[in-house]
Amino acid sequence: MLKYVGKRLLAALVTLFIILTTVFVLMRQMPIEGYFDNIDKADQGVIDAKLHQLGLKDPMHIQLLNFYKNILKGDLGVSNRYRTGAPIIDIIAGKAPISIQMGLISMALSLLLGIPLGAKMARSKYKFWDKIGTGFIVFINAVPAAVYYIYIQSYGSSMLKISMLFDPSKFLNWVLPVFSMSLGSIAYYAMWLRRYMVDELNKDYVQLAKAKGVTSQDITMAHVFRNAFVPMIQYIPSSLLFTISGSIYVESLYSIPGMGGLLVDVITRQDNTMVQALVMIYASIGIIGMLLGDLLMALIDPRISFAKKEGVR
Amino acid sequence: MSEVILRTEDLNVKFSLRGRVLHAIRGVSLEVYKGESLAIVGESGSGKSVLTKTFMGLLDQNGWVDSGSIWFEGNDLAQYKTEKEWLTIRGKKIAMVLQDPMTSLNPLKTIGKQIGEALELHQGLKGDDANKRIQEILLDVGIKEPARRMKQYPHQFSGGMRQRVVIAIAVACQPDILICDEPTTALDVTIQAQILGLIRDLIRKYNLTCIYITHDLGVVANVADRIAVMYAGDIVEIGTSEEIFFSPKHPYTWALLSSLPQLGVKGEELFSIRGTPPNLFNEIKGDAFAPRNPKALNIDFKERPPYFDISDTHKVRCWLQDPRAPKVEPPQVLERISTEGGNLYEQ
Ligand SMILES: Nc1ncnc2c1ncn2[C@@H]1O[C@H](COP(=O)(O)OP(=O)(O)OP(=O)(O)O)[C@@H](O)[C@H]1O
Ligand SMILES: [Mg+2]
Repeated sequence: MLKYVGKRLLAALVTLFIILTTVFVLMRQMPIEGYFDNIDKADQGVIDAKLHQLGLKDPMHIQLLNFYKNILKGDLGVSNRYRTGAPIIDIIAGKAPISIQMGLISMALSLLLGIPLGAKMARSKYKFWDKIGTGFIVFINAVPAAVYYIYIQSYGSSMLKISMLFDPSKFLNWVLPVFSMSLGSIAYYAMWLRRYMVDELNKDYVQLAKAKGVTSQDITMAHVFRNAFVPMIQYIPSSLLFTISGSIYVESLYSIPGMGGLLVDVITRQDNTMVQALVMIYASIGIIGMLLGDLLMALIDPRISFAKKEGVR
Repeated sequence: MSEVILRTEDLNVKFSLRGRVLHAIRGVSLEVYKGESLAIVGESGSGKSVLTKTFMGLLDQNGWVDSGSIWFEGNDLAQYKTEKEWLTIRGKKIAMVLQDPMTSLNPLKTIGKQIGEALELHQGLKGDDANKRIQEILLDVGIKEPARRMKQYPHQFSGGMRQRVVIAIAVACQPDILICDEPTTALDVTIQAQILGLIRDLIRKYNLTCIYITHDLGVVANVADRIAVMYAGDIVEIGTSEEIFFSPKHPYTWALLSSLPQLGVKGEELFSIRGTPPNLFNEIKGDAFAPRNPKALNIDFKERPPYFDISDTHKVRCWLQDPRAPKVEPPQVLERISTEGGNLYEQ
């Protein structure tokens, strides 16, 4: 087990290293305007001095080395245009909590609704609940999210008699954005669980379980659901990490001060250091998510063996 | 003959498929005797699996018993509708071993758990009692180091070992009837013989009645007291092993026996039955085998033959037995069975 974890960890670190290095090198090709608040008014001497101070005049390998040193110290640099002079870590720390809270709640809601829906659909294949669920999934996938988000916002707000904009201190104000954020994942979980369960239901071991006298209730829960859930577990950490990294559209719609809109903002503002920091954070989140998924999967699926190969007999 | 444990009367099973109706079992009347081993043989698609699945209510969703009855312990299983009714039969009274051991176990549960499930359901055993019994059963089916093996998952077992586990599950239920649906087809020849031997031992040890499905007559000689030959959803001939091997009466049985590899002569092409089985979507007129039988009589195409009794134990559905029919001799090769019969029995 430890060896397996070590191996996966190492692979993840190598991937992360390659991605970070690539992003860093690419970012160096961006126009230098991205490091200045107001380059038009600065003269050449000031510009050169600042570039020197930022280390941008150094040879690439020195820059890289410094960059990794800083990362290990937990220093992501400072913002130059978005909020001049503010450490990037602080900016993110101010925005992350609300996104994380919303993401976690939305995740819980998605699992709580999506999983039973998928299971119900698989059990009543081609019957009433399956048709309702399929209609829902098709709707969510076919209609652009922007459309139903806006409907939810305008109708929902007037129904709940609340303002359209977000106020973190009021419980009711959480309902609509969280619900909007969850719809996609509810459909996603339901769709995959149904598919995996229908696959499992057609397998021979279900026949055998039936033949030995297990009730169809127990077959669905103890055999089929459990087995169908295992392949889904792999994706849950990624999906969790991505929901907590914020939903761009929902956050801007409700003016929620979260992480979601940040990347768009800093790109339009051409804040090089912040773009770099955020891209790196998202890349790391992706890699960590996959790593956790694999480890979780290995923990749960006995067919993935950690130990040395033991021959079948 | 001893007591009848299960009897079907004029059983008809149909499936609906894309709006059309397929008549898979066409009036099967069969008696299974307590303690015997009955083999059901026939080509692929002849209805062997469907017939036995009706005994446990395991027909696919699109299939139903159209008419006829299945008598078991005074109840007509053909009338069973609810899961609750079937749970009194499944595993408890009739257990089943499926064809493909690679897929018939749940890959995510230890084999101990999967055997334990049956023990808890049918004998109410749990905890240490169950563990003890699981180990006994594993030893029974020839799996050594049961304490360690029961904690392992199916992927840690080879095909033959998995089939032993599947058999262990069936035996753990302590059923009266054990249905083996081609239990050795997916295994290689040496393992086949071992599994066959194991089934024979367990039948004796646990006093089971066994219904053994196969399309390989060579295998049958080793397990069966009686043989039922199925063709196109019907039993065309039934008799003791000796009767079917040494004095077969139906042209289809002749064809099946002639294609036994054991009867082949080196260098000569092996006999194979011409044509294909009839389409069960269409209504079958006369003897279903007639279109493939070069020596078919005119009446074979017009009217379905009744059963003719050859002996107390041997009957055949074939017009050749009618007193008015011309005399048709079985193919020459079949004589080799009597001379080389020893060969067939000792694989
Ligand atoms: N669910 C189903 N829907 C439609 N037709 C079916 C279904 N199950 C079985 N049949 C048909 O019933 C007939 C008998 O099938 P069955 O599986 O009993 O054959 P078999 O003798 O067991 O063959 P094999 O040796 O291949 O297992 C076949 O024609 C088959 O196509
Ligand atoms: Mg079959």
